[in-house]
Amino acid sequence: MDWGYINARMRGMKSRLLDHHTLDNLVLQPDLDSLENELEKTPYREDLIEARGRYSGMPAIEHALRANFVRTFRKILDFSKEKEAALYISIFLHRWDIQNIKTVLRGKNIHITNEEILECIVPAGELDEVTLTELVRQPDMKAVIDLLATWSIPYAKPLTTAFPEFAKSGDLGMLECALDQYYYEDALLAVKGTSRNNAMIRDILSLEIDVVNIKTALRMIRDGVAPEEAGKFLLPGGRDLDAKKLDRLLALHTIEDALAMLAATRYRFLTGTPETALRAQKISVIEKQLERYLVQEGVRSFVGDPLSVASLIGYFWAKYNEITNIRVISRCKTADFSIENLREELVYV
Amino acid sequence: MVGWEVPIGAAIAFSFGAIGTGWAQSRIGAAGAGAIAEKPETAGTIIILEAIPETLVILGFVVAAMIILMVK
Repeated sequence: MDWGYINARMRGMKSRLLDHHTLDNLVLQPDLDSLENELEKTPYREDLIEARGRYSGMPAIEHALRANFVRTFRKILDFSKEKEAALYISIFLHRWDIQNIKTVLRGKNIHITNEEILECIVPAGELDEVTLTELVRQPDMKAVIDLLATWSIPYAKPLTTAFPEFAKSGDLGMLECALDQYYYEDALLAVKGTSRNNAMIRDILSLEIDVVNIKTALRMIRDGVAPEEAGKFLLPGGRDLDAKKLDRLLALHTIEDALAMLAATRYRFLTGTPETALRAQKISVIEKQLERYLVQEGVRSFVGDPLSVASLIGYFWAKYNEITNIRVISRCKTADFSIENLREELVYV
Repeated sequence: MVGWEVPIGAAIAFSFGAIGTGWAQSRIGAAGAGAIAEKPETAGTIIILEAIPETLVILGFVVAAMIILMVK
């Protein structure tokens, strides 16, 4: 496996990501129009011009970002045809499949129009736009799951298993959690070997599992959900938080207690959460800190061994973060956010 | 009278240099191709980098020549 070629391309692509100065320049733009003009001076130009042909304002930026993201990852997949690299990339891309299926199910659950669902789809995974459009065209959730099963798409299995429980409770979280559990179990199984690259992917996946579990546990504690019930929504395979620690976490009654328990783990930075946010039970502040940590850890992979999957992991997170930052900036421009508040919302890596 | 050891020694000196050069150039070539694909303006630098391991095989050739010419 020749990682030299992939690493060189990843580094070349990373050099085109927006630097701190350019991002700051976008933040300083007074409105959406000037932001669009400024974005036209970046590598998003091509996508933005294409999107402007059909949309204007915020939808144009959203479509341009989505098209750029999809194009970027299709390109990576195209030049990483070797078995090992393709496996690692597919692990990253499958999460978009999961995200898209969740979007379709959510849309069908709240009965919004097919056009509205399609607006929220990001076909960066293995399920392409045509497949996803066909899924969206199904009349209800059951039909979506049946179609996935007919096409032998593996995500049908966890959905079919969890569907009776969803039908009883009406809680979409059951289906979403089943999908997440399937994704992480499948991904961890694919990289169970002892190679250094497998260990790196396992490491970042288990960090993500920890982050998802902490978020879920904090929400459950806030909402006073019984530990036995809450335990069903947790994912196995975390890095620092195993099943026992998670059980102890869920048994706590306040968010302050939960953060105090996390002080003994690598997530001790959460203890710095402002008092006001804790008093108001604002989990979003904690979630933001966790996401920031995850992105920073992911991007840090870039400084790892150049002849390994490290640069791929680093680029994935750096690109994801860039798109998220631009989305945050454009949304804040429409909401008339102050520059200082906007800077706080961004993750600089 | 030169024995069979001299040409064998020269062959070893040259062949190891050539193998080393080939290996190094393949790695540099792969990474260089990736770099040029993303940034075509780096082509000049990459060609120079690709040529650097040639010194290994030249050195092997010089040692081989010295063995043949100097060992009597």
